[in-house]
Amino acid sequence: MIEIQGLTKRYGAKTAVDNITATIRPGIVTGFLGPNGAGKSTTMRTIIGLDRPDSGTVTVNGKRYAQHHNPMHEVGALLDAKAIHTGRTAYNHLLAMAATHGIGKARVHEVIAMTGLESVAKKRVGGFSLGMGQRLGIAAALLGDPQTLILDEPVNGLDPEGVMWVRKLTKHLASQGRTIFLSSHLMSEMSLTADHLIVLGRGRIIADAPVGEILALATGTAVRVRTPQATDLANRLASSDVTVTSVEGDLLTIAGLASAQIGEAAAQAGIVLHELTPLSASLEDAYLELTQDDVEYHSEVSR
Amino acid sequence: MTNTALEAPQTSTAHSSTHLSFPRVVRSEWIKLRTLRSTQWSFAIFVLLTVGFGLLMAVTLDTSSGPAVDAETQKSLTVMVATLGVNFTQLVAAVLGVLIISGEYTTGMIRSTFAAVPTRLPALFAKALVLAVATFVVSLASIIVTALVTAPILAGQGIEGQLFDGEVMRALVGGAGYLTLVALLAFGFGAVLRNSAGGIASVLGLILVVPTVLAILAGITQAVWAQNLSAFLPSNAGALMYAVGDGSAAGGPPIGAIGAEVITLDTTQGFLVLLGWVVVMMIAAAALIKRRDA
Repeated sequence: MIEIQGLTKRYGAKTAVDNITATIRPGIVTGFLGPNGAGKSTTMRTIIGLDRPDSGTVTVNGKRYAQHHNPMHEVGALLDAKAIHTGRTAYNHLLAMAATHGIGKARVHEVIAMTGLESVAKKRVGGFSLGMGQRLGIAAALLGDPQTLILDEPVNGLDPEGVMWVRKLTKHLASQGRTIFLSSHLMSEMSLTADHLIVLGRGRIIADAPVGEILALATGTAVRVRTPQATDLANRLASSDVTVTSVEGDLLTIAGLASAQIGEAAAQAGIVLHELTPLSASLEDAYLELTQDDVEYHSEVSR
Repeated sequence: MTNTALEAPQTSTAHSSTHLSFPRVVRSEWIKLRTLRSTQWSFAIFVLLTVGFGLLMAVTLDTSSGPAVDAETQKSLTVMVATLGVNFTQLVAAVLGVLIISGEYTTGMIRSTFAAVPTRLPALFAKALVLAVATFVVSLASIIVTALVTAPILAGQGIEGQLFDGEVMRALVGGAGYLTLVALLAFGFGAVLRNSAGGIASVLGLILVVPTVLAILAGITQAVWAQNLSAFLPSNAGALMYAVGDGSAAGGPPIGAIGAEVITLDTTQGFLVLLGWVVVMMIAAAALIKRRDA
């Protein structure tokens, strides 16, 4: 359980996190979603005390992280795959981290096996790819058998197999009653991994709800209709509540009406339908909808 | 990389006995120290420089032309031969001291360190302790080895070292102590500046450049304040730790217009002055490390 209470963090004149309050509960995977620069990493850094909040408090299982007697057992965190001395081997890095808590070599070998790093464990970290760095970061996070796992962009740089593995691992750990908090800017990944989403934009929480609910927040669902009498149908359906978009000659996207209503209207007018497909908005659309006013860096190319 | 097992982390050994403690942090820092090539190299260079320069001086020393050296000079020469390398190893100690902490900042390792030791100060002090002990042991061993290796050569020159003479022994240990304090001073700079180049430049500037500039200034102006200030610089005060006799031969303040108002330190005072520098830097480092974002 992570409790964030009125957290604000500024870097100079820039407010990275602006008075956010949230609770990350155990037993589920909570996704932390937001565009680059939204304040996700900053929030995660304050949880384990790497950054000091300007105001507000962050507690893990009721205490500030630094007050715990066994911090690595409370929280395992991957905040930056590069937070490792490049001159040391992966094994020695994990050994040194484990030593702070008296965690034995057996556990070091165990996390190396879990993250599939056996073949490179004796190699120096400087030569690691981003994906291997991520695996090593996750291995370090798991060392203390943590009750709470915080992963910042864990699938960044991982191959598809690695992405699958992170997804399974986080779900598995959540099913054991642990608190799992992972960030991503990839909405598609989040829709597959997370049970609950906290959406952040420009340092503020835009949404904090189950994944299904966030999807439903998308403005209206649309229906794809294929018909040889496209113009005819479009004219019949047109009203102020309904938006009809012509995609191709015989293909329309209709928003504002359910597929049943469209089918009935077509039957009454004797219009032949070749296709009638309800389109549920993807999480990605929902997310862009939510954050479009809150992105710090807009790209010039419009969608 | 492909066979990624999905085992429950809880299959691990019981973690009831695992928790954070200072001895464990010290152990962690010891693992970190010995698993970096830069430290291995630094300490190898330490030994080579100390023994090498000692041998060089012992071999080239020629006392045959002069009068027989007295007992006091014999002791002084013995110490000088064994500690000649300190002039060079102090640079290695300074670089090592800075790198051991700045290397964590430049690689980002410090965030892993502080995530594991969130109260931070135990990590800082454990690192300093490990650095101090390793530097002291390696430098004392190499100084003693140099003294032993050069003893037969010096004996041929009519110099009986009397290694177990109290004053000689104190000076040899003092040489190792000096290097240890230089490493810690550099460590303080590295922790405050969090930057390898800046840290190394600052420490070397303080140990090498500032004394030279002050010496030149004092030589030209005969200013008493410059000489007094010079006596309190880390390298000048610290040099007294491994000098036999009045210490003025081993880098004390330039002998110019020594008047009543010019301060001269003795061995203990020299040690305390250098220790003071280290303590001040460590307090600054501790205060900043506690306050700053990692």
